[in-house]
Amino acid sequence: MKRYIYKGTIIFSLLFTIACSKSLDTQPTSSIDQAEALKTSDDVQVALVGAYYDMGSADLFGGGSSVTAELLGDYNELNWTGTFQDMTQIKNKDITTNNVFITGTWLDAYKAINDVNNILGALSVVNASDAGRIEGEAKFIRASSLFELVRLFAKSWNDGTPSSNPGVPIILNPTKGITAADKVSRNSVQEVYDQVINDLKDAEGKLPLDNGFFANKAAAAAMLARVYLQKEDYPAAADAANRAINLGGAAGLSLTDKYADAFAIVFPPAPVGNTTEDVFAIQVNTSSGINAFSRYFSPYGRGDIQIKPAHFDLYEAGDDRLNLFYNAAGSDVTGKFDNRYGNIHTIRLAEMYLIRAEANFRTSGSVGANPADDINLIRRRVNLTPIADANLTLDIILHERKLELAFEGFNLHDIKRTKASIGSLNYNSPKLIFPIPKREIIVNPNLTQNEGY
Amino acid sequence: MRKSRLLLLLITLLTSSVMGQDRILNGKVMDSRDGTPMPSVSIRAKGSSNSTMTNTDGTFSIKLASSAKSLTFSSVGFNDQEVQITGKDLVVSMKPADMSMNEVVVVGFGNARRKDIVGSVAKVNAKDITNTPSTSFESALQGKASGVLVQQQNGKLGQGINIRIRGNSSITAGNEPLVVLDGIPVTSDNLSSNGAATNALADINMNDIESIEILKDASSAAIYGSRASNGVLLITTKKGKAGTSKIEFGFFTGTQTPTGKREFLNTTDYVKYQQRAAVGAANQDFINGYYPDLQSAIDDYTNYVNGKLTRYSAGNDDWKTGKVNTNWQDQAFQKAPISQYDLNLSGGNDKTRFFASGQYLDQKGMLVGNQYKRYSGRLNVDHQVNKWLNAGVNLSFTKSQNFRVSNDDAFSTPLQIVALSPNTPLIDPRTGLISGAKDTLTGRPNSNYPVYYNPLLNKLNAYYHANVNRTFGNAYLSATITKGLVFRSEFGMDQLNQTEEGYQGQLTSRNSGVPNGSGLYYSTSVLNLNTNNYFNYRNIFAEVHSIDAVAGMSYQTRQFDFSGARGEQFPSDAYKKLSSAASKTGATSSSTSNTLISYFARANYKLHDRYLVSLSGRIDGSSRFGANNRYGFFPAAAVGWVISEESFLKSVNWLNFLKLKASYGVTGNDNISDFASRGLYSGNGAYGGQAGQIPSQIANPDLRWESTAGVDVGFESGFFNNRLNIEFSYYQRNTTDLLLYVDVPGTTGFSSQYKNVGKLSNKGIEFTINSTNISSKYFRWTSSLNFAANKNKIISMDGQVLGSDVNKAKEGQPLGVFVAKEFAGADPQNGDAIYYKNTEKPGGGLDRSTTNNYNDATDVVIGKPNPDFIYGFDNAIFYRSFDLDVLFQGVYGNQIYNSGGQYMSASGSNGFDNQTTDQLKAWDKPGDKTMVPEPRLFYANGTNPSSRYISDGSYLRLKSLTFGYNLPKTVLTKIHMQRFRIYLRAQNLLTFTKYKGWDPEVNADYQASNINQGVDFYSAPQAKTIVFGLNIGL
Repeated sequence: MKRYIYKGTIIFSLLFTIACSKSLDTQPTSSIDQAEALKTSDDVQVALVGAYYDMGSADLFGGGSSVTAELLGDYNELNWTGTFQDMTQIKNKDITTNNVFITGTWLDAYKAINDVNNILGALSVVNASDAGRIEGEAKFIRASSLFELVRLFAKSWNDGTPSSNPGVPIILNPTKGITAADKVSRNSVQEVYDQVINDLKDAEGKLPLDNGFFANKAAAAAMLARVYLQKEDYPAAADAANRAINLGGAAGLSLTDKYADAFAIVFPPAPVGNTTEDVFAIQVNTSSGINAFSRYFSPYGRGDIQIKPAHFDLYEAGDDRLNLFYNAAGSDVTGKFDNRYGNIHTIRLAEMYLIRAEANFRTSGSVGANPADDINLIRRRVNLTPIADANLTLDIILHERKLELAFEGFNLHDIKRTKASIGSLNYNSPKLIFPIPKREIIVNPNLTQNEGY
Repeated sequence: MRKSRLLLLLITLLTSSVMGQDRILNGKVMDSRDGTPMPSVSIRAKGSSNSTMTNTDGTFSIKLASSAKSLTFSSVGFNDQEVQITGKDLVVSMKPADMSMNEVVVVGFGNARRKDIVGSVAKVNAKDITNTPSTSFESALQGKASGVLVQQQNGKLGQGINIRIRGNSSITAGNEPLVVLDGIPVTSDNLSSNGAATNALADINMNDIESIEILKDASSAAIYGSRASNGVLLITTKKGKAGTSKIEFGFFTGTQTPTGKREFLNTTDYVKYQQRAAVGAANQDFINGYYPDLQSAIDDYTNYVNGKLTRYSAGNDDWKTGKVNTNWQDQAFQKAPISQYDLNLSGGNDKTRFFASGQYLDQKGMLVGNQYKRYSGRLNVDHQVNKWLNAGVNLSFTKSQNFRVSNDDAFSTPLQIVALSPNTPLIDPRTGLISGAKDTLTGRPNSNYPVYYNPLLNKLNAYYHANVNRTFGNAYLSATITKGLVFRSEFGMDQLNQTEEGYQGQLTSRNSGVPNGSGLYYSTSVLNLNTNNYFNYRNIFAEVHSIDAVAGMSYQTRQFDFSGARGEQFPSDAYKKLSSAASKTGATSSSTSNTLISYFARANYKLHDRYLVSLSGRIDGSSRFGANNRYGFFPAAAVGWVISEESFLKSVNWLNFLKLKASYGVTGNDNISDFASRGLYSGNGAYGGQAGQIPSQIANPDLRWESTAGVDVGFESGFFNNRLNIEFSYYQRNTTDLLLYVDVPGTTGFSSQYKNVGKLSNKGIEFTINSTNISSKYFRWTSSLNFAANKNKIISMDGQVLGSDVNKAKEGQPLGVFVAKEFAGADPQNGDAIYYKNTEKPGGGLDRSTTNNYNDATDVVIGKPNPDFIYGFDNAIFYRSFDLDVLFQGVYGNQIYNSGGQYMSASGSNGFDNQTTDQLKAWDKPGDKTMVPEPRLFYANGTNPSSRYISDGSYLRLKSLTFGYNLPKTVLTKIHMQRFRIYLRAQNLLTFTKYKGWDPEVNADYQASNINQGVDFYSAPQAKTIVFGLNIGL
């Protein structure tokens, strides 16, 4: 009998061993292999949705890169009382190269870019009827992310020679594995702008007029207007803004009746759809998306940023925009971002009117409308008296722009393109440019660091 | 049937050298110390297969072949005794084994006598573990075994404890040892969802543990192959003994208090400090051109600060007089009683032995709101089915409830309360409620009073409960096939079910960001199934060749399932379940699994009781690695020479034992995520209510094991009748193919990737000295000293620097070194924080001049979190019925980085955080020489990472002190008791350290990782525990 046991155990062990070997092939359940991910048109469509998700990351279009720009661009209108030392650095214009928020912006932007590069590389499996739209959306996301990078991490267009100033690396191919070729160098500022403009032009051509809350023709034209304005290409800016207004109008966009309505504030915080003024908005709801504006500006978030008296001094009496401010137990705050589940209003139609007005004024043109009409559209909505054509100046336009778009991420970039200053810092001070993240310099010696870091 | 009987007969014929006339011999075995009869002593006739065991009363009767000349008596804990057969009845008295040379040590898939072991195995016995007044057994290992560093992250209950055996062998894969309970590897992962690790080993009732063997060197651990790089803990639970049935009742109760506190400013100093910080900031604003003249800047800032001081004084002017002076730190702590009740029953007969136990632990934490309860039960049964078959089961069930507090990084964690202003009253006079509970203007909780969210509101209106149900079970069958050849089959499971339920009510809205309550419910289940099937062959040939061989296979599969849901907006705080949440804000589920299949073999050969050789090998196949590198081979070899058995040393009286040993082995580490080698897309890219997928991981099809090759040489010795024992080891462990989660260029769209790059090494020495200083009839004093020095160094890692905080993994440095600027104090001219530049000078050397521009200074290594050496020193004294045990434990040569310093010791730079008292030494006027820069409100003057926040982390602790009294046997007999003992025990009674923080044994829970070590961030101190206990045995 013992021999049977002996034999039996050996046979049992062998059988068991064979059975077990097979089970070494376990498969992931929460993710799928990359080879299985982009096989059908539907696969590419869901990857595109994913790319918007990454575009809306906290340190990118989720608002983070705008909040950091506001803090860096602020002179004495904001009060930072938060505990995040890396934000304090930015507010104090004393940035270290390992700043987590700045590193986050860099990583988030290139993640979104890789997402869409994968999509652009898989267009061959997409249904013909969707291919143009998907390509257009992908290029819109890539261009928007690249533009955000170049204006934060490189010298501004009007500072020296864009064709030789280092910009940021342009990445156009999906990453399938990590190789030495991934140690890329910085393209010039001009190359980056060219890539951004080409992508946006392509996008505008291929996107549909109406595309739900995803990017449409108007969004591409609007982003293009923003880029041209930053590049001081005013005729092109006026044209693009005008197209955005018309395309948007055809898709049903118009300024909201009240300024406050453009920010869709509800209490308690809850997801709200796009407003009629949203040319493009990053979607936030209770289960996905982050509203970093709300996080830092709103007392319902961390409430780290308060508004100082110097800002209020800028307004004319009766300006309805003043009514959005309130006192939260001793500190003045803006209520613009009180809905933490609200969408990020990445491009509001009001910005297009302001770009068109400014670009037309600078070129003495009247593409779409004359500058005073556009400015008065903005002023009337907030109960301010119209300004006569003859009295309109560039300063008035820029002033209107500053108040209308206050804290939405424009201030720093407007200071740079108008060669203004922040306290004792000139528009072209190296302190107003983000450092290339330290981690990036370490893993990729081909990247040069910005001056002053 | 007939056939098998024939076979049996045949075997008996073959194995019995000579068959002769049988005779019966009777006798009795006693304990030499007190003459009590000894049950279960095994008795073997030398030169024949006959054997037996003593009965309950110590008597035995053995059938002997006429050829039998002598009998060998053996019992665990006693020296073997060989007695010549004279024909008369025998009376044998057994002597307790001296200093463990003969003690049985559990090794992987078997056991061995201490003197025969050639690897490096430490053993901690039940008596050192039992009744340690702490949540988990690891605490009991502190200072007990050389080379084993045990560190508890903080004083929160049931939370992370790190065990490092001979240093850190990995940078990004796990560094914790494999834990094997009664032969079955168990789940020891952190399963917490609140950002701070929990300890899955806390589910083991430490009073059930008979022994813990720690396999330290590669040769003893290699039998566990791909998971053995960090060493192996073999936990063996108690078994019943044949003969006496015993009931034991144990109880202790006591209190816990923090081992240390920090000093913070009182109201008067705080007010002065903030006002000075206002002037400092105003001066900067003026220099920066924000104000036309200094005075208006000062006026602005002073108004601002005074306004805030009023706000934080509950809206009144009390701050001016210092009338309110709240010690917030004291409010973070609560009375913390601890009680434990044990009852166990054990016994059995020749055929069946059992051990049954139950325990209830009721522990309150020192931090407000922290509490831990554990109920556990165990039944271990061993049964001899027939002459050749043994079977048994070990079953244990544990239910634990942990009322947890937030992780160290949360505003709601109790100890962050120290940031609140001392002028803020505990009770807001405007409402009569705790400060922060209600704003009279809105009727809702305050949004900006006190300066931060008051963590006490969490105690009132929030909870986070982690409930664990855990079942450990294993069954074994052991069949003796022929003499010496045993087949053993084990099947074990470890089922862990955890639910975490949390609710944050309306009062917590400032912290949760949700006005009407938020709740969560997470469920985690981990099932570990394991089977071991192996043959063991033991025999002695020609009296001098001793063989002990093992060969077999094992298979393990682990299934992990997680699901969770969150909701917000509850009708009122009376509703706390998610069904009442108006808004369901999150729902998730995930699962993962892995399998491991292994074949292993080991052969130990001993010649003439003095030449020892051990060879072992294991092949592991793991689902975690790509098909290319799925199987790994882990060999080991060891040799030993017991010189004291040689004739030329036998005559040396003072030397009882001397063994030289050397070993080499290769072990692996597969402790990475289950699908680390794959290129993956994840479906978590939903946007605007539409499903989305995103690339989540970049592939590395070549990913393989991390492997560690270890060399160990040393000796074990016994002198002067074994009253002095010395063990020494030198080891070197080289880890190659490090599984690094390396940074990749972010421009690829990925930030990191698992790769096999790099090497690191650990070198060290260990020694243990045990001595019996005095041993007389009534007085016995023994000492035990252990010491271990380890030097860890990262040899290469492809030029990478890993670590996103101050701790880094860097080539040429030990793992986790602190890297930051070197702080040089305050600039005597203007009070700016200044740093040593430490830039390389063209001609070589470092530029030691200072700069006030943080970016101009170079990052340098400013400290390391791991100690140069660790030690333990234990003294035990027995005098008549009294006993005293004093254990000191310490670490030396490590540093601590106070990451909370940027807020609490920040020259007032972070606004209104209360400051540690050392900040009073701040720069005030030109010419001041100080290490504390000028206070400047919100100006971050010197708060960026630097050596300003580094301190010496060495400490020496009176780890445990036990004073006990046992009723003498004479009395016990009268009252029919086996045992009656009362004792006082103190843990962490005294701590000697230069560290100015709460406690030097610290690592902030939310950030702890292989790299991030030795960081303090509002981390709770360890507990100083004093208990009174009682043991009754019937």
